[in-house]
Amino acid sequence: MTHKPLELLPGTLDTLILRSLQRGPLHGYAIMQALRDRSDEILQVGESSLYPALQRLLLNGWVKAEWGASENNRRARYYTLTAPGRKQLASERADLERMMAAIRQVLETA
Amino acid sequence: MSKLLRRIQYLFRRNRMEADLAEEMEFHRAMLAREFPDGAGAARAWGNTTLAREDSRAVWLGPWLEGFWRDLSYGVRGLARERGFTAVALSALAIAIGLNTALFTVFNAIALRPWPVKDPGRVVNVLRRIGSGSRAGGLDGFGVAEWRYLTEHTKAFTGLLLTRNGERVEVDRRPLSLTWVTGNYFSVLGVEMARGRGFLPEEDRAQAPEAVAVLNYGTWRNDFGGDPSIVGKTVRLDEVPFTIVGVAPETFTGTSPLRVDFWAPLSARRVLRPHDAEVLPWLTSLDHCCSSMAGRLAPGFTREQGASEVELLMGQLHGKSEHEGGGAVITSGTALLESPDSQEHQVVPALAAMFAAMTLVLLLACANVGNLLLARAAARRTEIAVRLSLGGSRGRLIRQLLVESFTLALAAAALGLALAWSAPAAIAARLEPENAFGLTPDWRVCAYTASLAILACLAFGLAPAIQATHGRIAGALKREAPLRFSRLPLRSVLLAAQVAISVMLLAGAGLMVRGLQHAQHQDPGFRIDQVTVASLELPAAAYSGQRAKIFTSQLQNALAETGGLPASGLASDVPMENSRTFTDIRRTGEPPGRERIVQMHDVTGGYFEVLRIPLVAGRNFTPGDAGRQVVLLNETAARSFFGADSPVGKTIESAGKTWEVAGVAKDAHTTDPGAIAPTVYWPMTGRFNLPHVLIADAGAASRERIAAIVRGLEPKGRVVFAPLSDNLRSQLEPARYAAMLAGALGLLALALASIGMSGVFAYMVRQRTREIGLRMALGAHPAQVVRMILASHLRALAWGLAVGLAGASAASRLLRSMMNGVSPFDPLAYAGVFALLIAAAAAASAIPARRAARVDPLTALRWE
Repeated sequence: MTHKPLELLPGTLDTLILRSLQRGPLHGYAIMQALRDRSDEILQVGESSLYPALQRLLLNGWVKAEWGASENNRRARYYTLTAPGRKQLASERADLERMMAAIRQVLETA
Repeated sequence: MSKLLRRIQYLFRRNRMEADLAEEMEFHRAMLAREFPDGAGAARAWGNTTLAREDSRAVWLGPWLEGFWRDLSYGVRGLARERGFTAVALSALAIAIGLNTALFTVFNAIALRPWPVKDPGRVVNVLRRIGSGSRAGGLDGFGVAEWRYLTEHTKAFTGLLLTRNGERVEVDRRPLSLTWVTGNYFSVLGVEMARGRGFLPEEDRAQAPEAVAVLNYGTWRNDFGGDPSIVGKTVRLDEVPFTIVGVAPETFTGTSPLRVDFWAPLSARRVLRPHDAEVLPWLTSLDHCCSSMAGRLAPGFTREQGASEVELLMGQLHGKSEHEGGGAVITSGTALLESPDSQEHQVVPALAAMFAAMTLVLLLACANVGNLLLARAAARRTEIAVRLSLGGSRGRLIRQLLVESFTLALAAAALGLALAWSAPAAIAARLEPENAFGLTPDWRVCAYTASLAILACLAFGLAPAIQATHGRIAGALKREAPLRFSRLPLRSVLLAAQVAISVMLLAGAGLMVRGLQHAQHQDPGFRIDQVTVASLELPAAAYSGQRAKIFTSQLQNALAETGGLPASGLASDVPMENSRTFTDIRRTGEPPGRERIVQMHDVTGGYFEVLRIPLVAGRNFTPGDAGRQVVLLNETAARSFFGADSPVGKTIESAGKTWEVAGVAKDAHTTDPGAIAPTVYWPMTGRFNLPHVLIADAGAASRERIAAIVRGLEPKGRVVFAPLSDNLRSQLEPARYAAMLAGALGLLALALASIGMSGVFAYMVRQRTREIGLRMALGAHPAQVVRMILASHLRALAWGLAVGLAGASAASRLLRSMMNGVSPFDPLAYAGVFALLIAAAAAASAIPARRAARVDPLTALRWE
């Protein structure tokens, strides 16, 4: 069965992108695929939110972008996690997990 | 911080970054198309491309900048749509900003831009204040001997230098100019030569002068064809061989606003003028003055310390009892103050008057555009009201309107800068072909223009923006024009301001034109018609100093002995030539230090006969007076030194000698058409230079005979004849230019004011169309309607007129020196202003009034 795609909670997209880059450099399309596939197609990230988010990460210096060849030999822009990006991911991730635990707790007990 | 840096980096590499984003998104789309071959899926997964791009840009620009960007493009679109408004507002502002920038460019070149030397901040002008205490006079320079003493003893300056410009030399029959400088000139200033070297200290010794010179870069390129092997070559200046030791860099054109072709050491003047007995004393004696001094302050010394050291040393040199010590003044090293006696007094008031006028033009343009913006905002009431009612914040709207004004101001500034780029050089070339200012705008000029644009934008944009967003929304939505205006509507204030400024500018122009007319017709106090001036051209090297004196007395005798010649007289300078020579004298019996400055002319008795200047007391000069110690005074000098007593037979003191007053000549404008200064006439001896010969009623035959007399005395001599009236014409040339300029400014002001007025009237008609229609439907005559429209602004016009007249009469006091004795309340000038202004107002109201009169009652009433 396929799930209905969900909108992301505000503010979580940046963290998820950083997390998907932790294993290595990816281009924009691969990031979108990674988010979709790893969430069993629940998280559908539109390009109109993905690219502004990537620009935001560039502006903050958490990722850097370089042109390289894609798997099918096209020119693609690869994003790589920087050291400040790693630090940011760690702290955001901790915050996010506490937040989700809190939400679950509220949903189950209230 | 690094985030800000990245934002700035983005601004510079925007095109590149946006191209990257576009390509990346293109790649993304291609991948999607592969994964979802059916188009629908791809479109769904894709989303909104434009939004993605705009949002990405917003990330970089930040929320504030992004908003600004949006306002800017909105403003540009709005301005592009309303072409008529934009053209009028833009040209008014561009002209006003351009004129201001052009003027500032000139000011910058002569007063602000430091000399192009090493570490210019430490290089200063050193000046001496003449007199002391309450009788402190103008500023002056230093003598060569004084400079030598100061140089030997100073601790506050690492070097002091002296310059004296204005020596004319002939090179291959071309007149060029030479400036004398001390041997350390280039080394103190730290000027690196383009070729060769500067002077060596041993090249400037009074006892062993060396004929060496440094060439100006432009002269080297233009007059010497940029000869690469010029250094070491010999150039004949007035037939005297000088060795070129160097070429100055292109950027360095000297330390005075005057053009310099050659620099040579002071002592080389002995080589160039071997017969001039005054040169050696000039180089060595303490009695000789004055050249311009500048110096480089030593590290750790301030200007005040430098000035007090110079005062102290001068006191030591001249002995404490001497009144000579005086004060010392130190100013920045710019061209304006370099030769204070000649420059400052003429340039500064003229510049101040011009600045005042230009500021008025700018204010006028601002008031004008402000009024147009108000009218435009009124036409956009509905749009503004809709936006306010939909929840747009008022601050946001004001910001948007201001950004629009800012766009306008910025575009105008760009146009104005272009105007300023070309205009001043053209004007300066006409006014003063001798100067060597760098008139290209530099960063100071650009900064000035930018701040003008911002100030102008606030001046014309802020008030309309605030007023436009003010008021009730509901009424505006219903296009309900308010029938009652607030007590002091902004529009009326702006209109009054426009009228006031135009009146001031026009009145100033009118007064200057009247002053010019007056000067052309005033009685100069002497005969101008049918007087011929004969100027002698003799080899300058041979005819200076003692030789000139001998020649003068020979000429005087020859003219007197030759029978049948018309009356003639000799003079050191030609009347109305604007050449001034000053000296200071005191009445015998007054203590030393009470000297006052007078103008001096050396003349023979024939001078007064040819010019028909009567002697009111005593006797005229006789040929025997040449060696005697007698003088004549003009009436002003007689009054100033002797009061009501007759000065004849009394004595004055000058240059350490006593002179007897032989007579008093009637006052005459022998120097310039302005006020008559106290003047002393000395018997002609040829001590300064070769004399001019003034001849009454010279026909061709007597001219030829005079030329023959000169050739008889000096075979190489030539004589140039010119009517004296030519001098009056060239004397009035600056006034003519000033009046022309003022007239042009006045007309510009008038044009701006008419545009402004017609804008206001047109707006009023538009705003009151319904009311007009109603009145006409009820039987009002079109003329009555027109009168009604005009009447509502009559008060503003009257106020503007009154304020303008008050301002004009105050300003005319400043202009007095240029008015040649015309009263600041000259009725003709003011009548002209009134006539012009009324004509302009009538023209400005004609079109809107016609439109009002043609309003069709039915259409008007149905108008919403």
